[in-house]
Amino acid sequence: MAQASLKAKHDQTDITWKTRFQEWWFRNRALIGFAFILPWFAGFIIFDAAPFIYNLYLSFTDYQIGTVGTPPWIGLENYTKIFTADKLFSKSMYNTVYYLGFSVPLRLIFAFLVALILNLRVRGMELYRTLFYVPSVVPLVAATVIFAGFLNTRYGFLNQFLVLIGAMPVRWLSSPDAIKPSLILLSLWGFGGQMIIFLAGLQSIPEDLYEAAAIDGGTGWHRLVYITVPLMTPTIFFNLLLGLIGGFQVFEQVFILIGTNGGPLQAGLVYMLHVYNKAFRDFEFGYSAALSVILFLIIFVLTLMVVYTSNRWVFYGDAQDDEI
Amino acid sequence: MKVSRLIGLAIAVMMLLSLGLAPTLAQDCDGEVIELEFMNWWGAAREALMDTLIGHFQEENPCIRIINQVQPWDNRAELLATAAASSNPPGIIMSTRPETYHFAISGLIIPIDHFVEAHGTDLSVFYDGEIGLQYWNGELYGLPMPTAGGLTSLYIYNKDMLRDAGFDPEAPPKTWQELEEMSAAITVADPMGVDVMGTQVIGITGGDAAFVSWLYTNNGRYASDDGRTLLFNSPEGIETLEWMVNFTNNINGGVENVADFFQDTAFAQGDHPWYEDKLAFLRINTSFYGHYNVNDPEGYADTSHWGTMLRPYNGDNPNATHAGTTGYNYSGAWAYTIPAVHPPEKQEAAFKFAEFIGVHPLGGCAFLFAQSRPSPVKACNENPAYYEVNPTWSVVLEGLATDVAVSITPVQGQLAEILANAVEEALFGVKSPADALNDAHEEMQALLDEFWAEFDADNM
Repeated sequence: MAQASLKAKHDQTDITWKTRFQEWWFRNRALIGFAFILPWFAGFIIFDAAPFIYNLYLSFTDYQIGTVGTPPWIGLENYTKIFTADKLFSKSMYNTVYYLGFSVPLRLIFAFLVALILNLRVRGMELYRTLFYVPSVVPLVAATVIFAGFLNTRYGFLNQFLVLIGAMPVRWLSSPDAIKPSLILLSLWGFGGQMIIFLAGLQSIPEDLYEAAAIDGGTGWHRLVYITVPLMTPTIFFNLLLGLIGGFQVFEQVFILIGTNGGPLQAGLVYMLHVYNKAFRDFEFGYSAALSVILFLIIFVLTLMVVYTSNRWVFYGDAQDDEI
Repeated sequence: MKVSRLIGLAIAVMMLLSLGLAPTLAQDCDGEVIELEFMNWWGAAREALMDTLIGHFQEENPCIRIINQVQPWDNRAELLATAAASSNPPGIIMSTRPETYHFAISGLIIPIDHFVEAHGTDLSVFYDGEIGLQYWNGELYGLPMPTAGGLTSLYIYNKDMLRDAGFDPEAPPKTWQELEEMSAAITVADPMGVDVMGTQVIGITGGDAAFVSWLYTNNGRYASDDGRTLLFNSPEGIETLEWMVNFTNNINGGVENVADFFQDTAFAQGDHPWYEDKLAFLRINTSFYGHYNVNDPEGYADTSHWGTMLRPYNGDNPNATHAGTTGYNYSGAWAYTIPAVHPPEKQEAAFKFAEFIGVHPLGGCAFLFAQSRPSPVKACNENPAYYEVNPTWSVVLEGLATDVAVSITPVQGQLAEILANAVEEALFGVKSPADALNDAHEEMQALLDEFWAEFDADNM
């Protein structure tokens, strides 16, 4: 009897403690939530937001390396110079837009097509998927060095192949006309990341939709056009956005492949190389900051435009259901 | 005893041993040890050599501990800029001439005149041109260690290829015209471009530097002595660029052939056409002898196979002669500079080290001798042993004597980029040489005027 009473008391204490904890947790759930995201948020503030704001501030100054104390405030002078006196601004912007105008769609299409193939039910598919993804885990520097070998005019694999089939060799890295196509070609190398996302998207498409299409006599083409592509538009949208943002910021591979001057006639001088040169070669950090703010604004506006237009071409299943 | 403990003990013993063997340990200091981080770009291949030098320095200066920080070349610009601008920069920095000037006007490094005076350093031991490159606005900011010959007047040439082409191997070309004749006879084209090349007269990276070098062999000048007026678009300059364009088009088959011929090759890495007897005349800087010796010791030792010659001059110009240029190149005229933020005792220690690796027989002299390259210190180059390690030493000295110091400013990076583009435009046929140089001159002079206007206003 006494033992039962003791147990009941213990249970009650336990319940009381649990209840109090649960109540405390519920009352403070917002704070606890914030505590969980604090590490990320702190990192965001320290490594992203603060440098961004400081960069914005620097863009209105004549900050040069070694400026002691407060750098001199010059208002919009850097921005005026960019649009009126900097010939390389328009040149580097043109090169960058050309690059991403071709590389982003090509990479999307290539990654999508490969993902479609890798989504087939074929024996040993895991191996193929791994093989196609492997290039993406090769560091960009190593991949670029390998590519430089491929693109070598005299001894490169690509030209050897072209000669073998009777075509004219291409001066991939020495001709101003071929520099940008070479960079676009190189951009296809790391398609594996996008391919994996596409593959995940493809595998989330309900099988019964394909079965229904088959019953209705839909061909493979019909299934691709009327089921796969529409249902993949959110994934295409996501990859497109990442591709655009990454395309504008292309730097490392160009830096390694053709150097900071952008190759012959600066045909490969992309925007980030220009930003880099202004900062680290000319030590004009204020001006370089202004260039990077311009880039941010361009990417921001373009992203907004893509997001805004996405209502017209991105198919979200849930929204459709609501309408039904 | 457990295995993990044994491993731990072994690691501890190894660490102690390595500390004991390290040349950087100050052993007999009776005061406080000053640590000096030495930020340099001498590369891994010369690290052991530099460590030996540091060991010698520390024997003489036990209270100064040098930490040899050899840096990777690839991201040099960011490393240097961020280190120099930080609140805790290295104790001593290896910087190029434009960087030195830029750091000087930014107040990041200190002038060293007072140390020179206090230590009684004899600056006359240097070649005038070499020490002269380290002054900005009348103040000395560094002591040179290698010669500033990023663009010396020196070429190495392949005697066998001359012989095979029917020329006297002991009579390399002295003039542009002779160079053209010999190169045309040696160059062999193939469907992919050029298989064997006499020489190329344009730069593989930075056509501006090549142009400026040839300009001085046509009695032209890049800028006035005070660095305020650019002079490169003179008739001599236009004639020089025209000659470069014609040579490249007529003998090498165009600028793209030249780029393709040298693509993915580097003399220092040993995979250059020179080593395969596919290039007859190669413009060098003074580091090449050491690289040649390392990459092909047998070839280097065989002087019946190669020789050194001076950069040819325009034989049609009676005022032209052999000439090299120093201090123009963006990566030339290296010096050791001392950051301003450090306390005076650390700066003084840095100066002592800079002096040692600049002029001491066991310092800079020995370091450069080991690489078969000349020193900016005259006496070091008089070492007769040089003739044994570099069989063409007499020509090297002759070349040093022809070097001309070029006036530049901290905005040299921007100017060089414009000039390089102009040279490329001429080479690719986008503009005529005259138009390319005149347009570049206008743009560059405006930039230079802007710099001097700001500089003069700040120094009123």
